Amino acid sequence: MKYYFCYLIVLLPACSQENKTIKIKGSDTEVNLAVQLAESFHEVNAGVFVSISGGGSGLGIASLLNGTADVANSSRSINSGEINLFEKKGAKIDSFIFAQDAIAFVVADDLPIDSVNTDDLAGILSGRYKNWSSLTGKNMIINIYGRQSNSGTHDFVKKKLGIEFTPYAKQMNGNAQILEAIKADHSGIGYVGAGYVTHGSSTGIKVLPVYQDKNEKAISPLDANMIAAGKYFFQRPLYQYYKAASFDKIKPFLDFEKSDTGQKIIQLAGYYPVIK
Amino acid sequence: MKKIRHLFNWILLLGSTLMVCLILGVILYDIFSKGMSSVSWHFITRFPTNGMTKGGILPAMIGTLLLTFITTIFSVPFGIACAVYLNEYARPSVLTNIIRASIRNLAGIPSIIYGLFGLALFVQSLRLGTSVLSAGLTLGLLSLPYIITTTEEALKRIPNSMREATLALGATQFETIKDVVLPKALPGILTGVILTMSRAAGETAPILFTGVAFYINGISASPNQEFMALPYHLYMLSTQHQSIEEVRPLAYGTATVLILLVFVLNIVAFYIRFKHRTKD
Amino acid sequence: MNIKKRESTDWLLKQVFKAAGLVTIGLLAGIFLMLLYNSIAFFADVKPVDFFTGSQWDPESSTSKYGIAPLLVSTGLVTLGAMVIAIPLGIFTAAFLSELAHPKLKTILKPVIEMLAAIPSVAIGFLGIVLVGPGIAKIFGIQNGLNALNGSVLLAVMALPTVITISEDAINAVPHSHREASLALGANKWETLFKVTLPASLPGLIAAVMLGLGRALGETMTVLMATGNAAVLPKGFLDAVRTITATIAIEMGEVPYQTTHYFALFAIAVVLFLITLAINLLGEYFANRLRKFHA
Repeated sequence: MKYYFCYLIVLLPACSQENKTIKIKGSDTEVNLAVQLAESFHEVNAGVFVSISGGGSGLGIASLLNGTADVANSSRSINSGEINLFEKKGAKIDSFIFAQDAIAFVVADDLPIDSVNTDDLAGILSGRYKNWSSLTGKNMIINIYGRQSNSGTHDFVKKKLGIEFTPYAKQMNGNAQILEAIKADHSGIGYVGAGYVTHGSSTGIKVLPVYQDKNEKAISPLDANMIAAGKYFFQRPLYQYYKAASFDKIKPFLDFEKSDTGQKIIQLAGYYPVIK
Repeated sequence: MKKIRHLFNWILLLGSTLMVCLILGVILYDIFSKGMSSVSWHFITRFPTNGMTKGGILPAMIGTLLLTFITTIFSVPFGIACAVYLNEYARPSVLTNIIRASIRNLAGIPSIIYGLFGLALFVQSLRLGTSVLSAGLTLGLLSLPYIITTTEEALKRIPNSMREATLALGATQFETIKDVVLPKALPGILTGVILTMSRAAGETAPILFTGVAFYINGISASPNQEFMALPYHLYMLSTQHQSIEEVRPLAYGTATVLILLVFVLNIVAFYIRFKHRTKD
Repeated sequence: MNIKKRESTDWLLKQVFKAAGLVTIGLLAGIFLMLLYNSIAFFADVKPVDFFTGSQWDPESSTSKYGIAPLLVSTGLVTLGAMVIAIPLGIFTAAFLSELAHPKLKTILKPVIEMLAAIPSVAIGFLGIVLVGPGIAKIFGIQNGLNALNGSVLLAVMALPTVITISEDAINAVPHSHREASLALGANKWETLFKVTLPASLPGLIAAVMLGLGRALGETMTVLMATGNAAVLPKGFLDAVRTITATIAIEMGEVPYQTTHYFALFAIAVVLFLITLAINLLGEYFANRLRKFHA
């Protein structure tokens, strides 16, 4: 008899579909920021739960599509294939840009290179250059530490440079693992969100400023003014996608992000405020 | 010459055994020595703070407890019923053989495939969504073969004479099972149940896509919510977090708590089995 | 309660228990059919030839490539390495436990093995990142220790308890008369062990290896955390690899349901399912032979 009671305890609330949790998924770039926002959000609005998961940007959008997320964090804009899938399901989606991110290319700090050209980056990441000798004069194999193919960061770098990644690029689980690998690997190169470099410990690595052609000045992703002006080559808006139908449910959280407190958290986490 | 060969054989066998002990020693030493300093009352009673770089693991502990609870109440009655059928009712037949073969093969299926099945069945078809209920049911399926096997072993140890005596007194077979066999086998069954709980608490792969989350900012006992879990928290802190080095102590602390939890459950099971065996 | 009611209760509950027994068949069939159903949807989009012979796994590139070879080779390599470590270590330990260890020593060693089996896989994977990986990097002078060798070492640790426990049962099951006969003929302790006892328990040892192999093949978290996850054909143990299980774990959360990529993950799961099924059946066959042999 006691047993049935246990079942009831579990099953009854499951049936009553009062769903007060906002599920936010996707984008390793944004997950940490989202966690910090959710922490502070709880202080002002304890009645609404927020659960957050990371993974790639693809995960967020896929989860939104699959109905397992209310908000999809994404560091890339939604692509036409995904839009088609939403249309097929008859779900209308809206988006909201809540911060700007810049991708930083990092190497170990003893590698003799101070800035990098986008053509050279394309050569390195596509596997055309296998050795550092032509760039730095040091005869060392280039080790690439990248993200999994489903990550928005991976996708963004690939599209921006117009290349396919060499299959020998190591696919790391997240930005943090990349930084850790670069610290240990003196001939490695990797890419991470600028927020990770400014916020996390950055001893042992350096960020390469990027330029497009020789006459141009190389721009660092840590230069807030250049980011605000939209001048850095690898910069991008951070999106939050949601189904138009569930706007009322997630509105309290979006409002909190736009508030002064929210914007301050975004800045402290190493991201840049939205260009207005 | 012969002596040297004998010595060599000794070293080979003893060395292998010592190596196995050494492996366990290294695992426990590394985790406990670096993790114990992070574990405190504060650590197990607080929420993570500052983007999960500080604070505790309370929601992950609650999540794991809730998950294990759901897993247990789902898999135990099914598992016991199946074991009772096999040991008390079933005659050797093709059907019985198929059931036994199924159970053995279920036990061999990789846990990630249970995850896929849980995703397809509970999350999608039954529309339970990604939730602690979906994850608990998935782990329940994973635990079934284990519960069945341990329960059957416990039932086998009950001498047939006890069943015959009850039946001879006019009890029906069900009454015999309910009033004599199960109570007598209870310690053995309980051991199996506790070991199942310890396995469920440590599993990660089947909950990956059925409901576990990085972070949740409140505690709710509602089973249709996503949840945090200790093993996933450890996975997340050691591979997915933004500042891995900064949170390494937290990862070690989480690993320590997880291993302690599993060991405590194992020791309880061991104690029950030991006490029961000596009584016989 | 009258007899009729008691008898009908008895009958009813028998059916309930029987139904529970049938659920297990249903569950196994359900899992297999679910995998198969989704795989068929995959093979409607991608030719089986491309799936089995393609040498690249890159579903998200512009020309989606669904070649299972890199995943299969990765899985094979990591598992092979694990077995090379776990088989001798496991069988020698089992031989020590059953033939040489004092009963008192045994009561200490048995819980050690049970504790090793109880450690969650994610904790072992964690050690792969913080302990084994850096160790391998130092020993071989490479930059990063997240590779196949790391995965092999960890999987060996995970397979050991299975191999030891079942091997010990197998060695114990060899009748004492065998050993006594051998000793009586003048063979010493070691000759008896290596030439009589171990060969006699061979089917059981093979069963132990098979079940350990099944355990290593199906393990997800340790390899996901410790092997670097590069989906290319590895050249050796120091290359990063990505097993079938890790691929499912990484990609399943990130695909929209009911797309080719989603179905592809079920297709590789079917392959994994069939491999583990075959290995388990083989293990069971040998375990049964042992039983018959000594019956």
